[in-house]
Amino acid sequence: MKSIVKRFTIVTHHETELINITDRVLQEVEAAGVQSGTAFILSLHTTTGLTVNEGLDDLEQDIADSLQRLVPESLSYHHARFLHEDGQMAINAPSHLRGALLGFEVFFPIENGRLVRGARQTIYFVELDGPQERTWVLQILGQ
Amino acid sequence: MIDFHTHPVMIQELVRDDPALQRAVREVFQLYFPAQPLEVFLAEMDEAGVERAVLLPIDCRTAHGCCIVSNEQVAELAGKNGRFVGFASVDPALPDAPRQLEKAVRGLGLKGLKLDPALQRFHLDDRKLAWPLYQVCAELGVPVLVHCGMSWSLAGQAKFARPLVLEEVAQEFPRLRIVIAHFGWPWVEEALLVALKYRNVYLDTSIVYSGTPADALRHVLAERIGLDVLERSLQRQLLFGSNYPRADIRRTARGIAALPLSPSLRERLTRTNAEELL
Repeated sequence: MKSIVKRFTIVTHHETELINITDRVLQEVEAAGVQSGTAFILSLHTTTGLTVNEGLDDLEQDIADSLQRLVPESLSYHHARFLHEDGQMAINAPSHLRGALLGFEVFFPIENGRLVRGARQTIYFVELDGPQERTWVLQILGQ
Repeated sequence: MIDFHTHPVMIQELVRDDPALQRAVREVFQLYFPAQPLEVFLAEMDEAGVERAVLLPIDCRTAHGCCIVSNEQVAELAGKNGRFVGFASVDPALPDAPRQLEKAVRGLGLKGLKLDPALQRFHLDDRKLAWPLYQVCAELGVPVLVHCGMSWSLAGQAKFARPLVLEEVAQEFPRLRIVIAHFGWPWVEEALLVALKYRNVYLDTSIVYSGTPADALRHVLAERIGLDVLERSLQRQLLFGSNYPRADIRRTARGIAALPLSPSLRERLTRTNAEELL
């Protein structure tokens, strides 16, 4: 069985930003030569998310707006203090909580060397505390 | 908006090939998260609605054996991108500090002096070490921004950073424009006293102690001082500052936006006062 792990670095430019990574995942799966298996995609951060949805601009805006409405910046959070481990203020509780709502990983089966996904399914890396440099990981597991 | 208080200490392009700077940032300034590309700093400014940012280095060679970003590095950043305004830092304990300051302003084009008495460990009223630097700033017509109040670095000592000590400086150098950083927190009343009394003294809003920037700004500016005091007496002496990357610029800007300030004070605080100083 093959296990291929790849890391991808991106620079985000907005506080909340949905970045379409579908084509990259498809290319990597095709290049891996795995006929039957699974593709796991995960973020290495706790203030980002991974999600799957229809790839439309208006839906992207709705997802971003809804996350902000569900976890408003204006509420009081415990995580709003100096974090000695970082040497900076930890004032991004809403970003963490929005990430918790989305989750940090998605996966798809691989069948006959191709990703099994719905025609409208788009894979998004979601920045929730940008701008920042971020890394996501793809593991292709199979034979 | 102009952010009058940022530290260019976590820029990948600077720290990547500079082990001495990596050590200074980690062990002396004490930031422990990964450096980010310069592109991120600029995007952070964009997200916050900040057009220009003042970059502040700290030369603490005598106290800690390092520069937390050198004047040359600041000048290079400012030279490459017009959105950055570079300040100089010199170590007051070095005998040629006044000459270095003059060189940094005249030769490198830096626009002011940053002093951090807590990290540099000198007394702001030391006539032998500090007075010549104030003199050079006054002669060159550039402002001096002074860290006042708590230093988050464990290497810093707040006893050197009492705002009230700057009263004597303001008296002796009436032409020198002095910026008290962090509103002098926790000695906010001392900072307020000096700024109310001396029109050449400014206060920056980079108040970082607990809670979000919105919490801290509301508590200090609205509840502890009173916005009416700022509106009536300090319109021309307030500056927006974030202390990035100790706090992010976006949330600090939102903290200011959340305060019910008059349009004229908001414009002065976020832009005009800084433009006049620079």
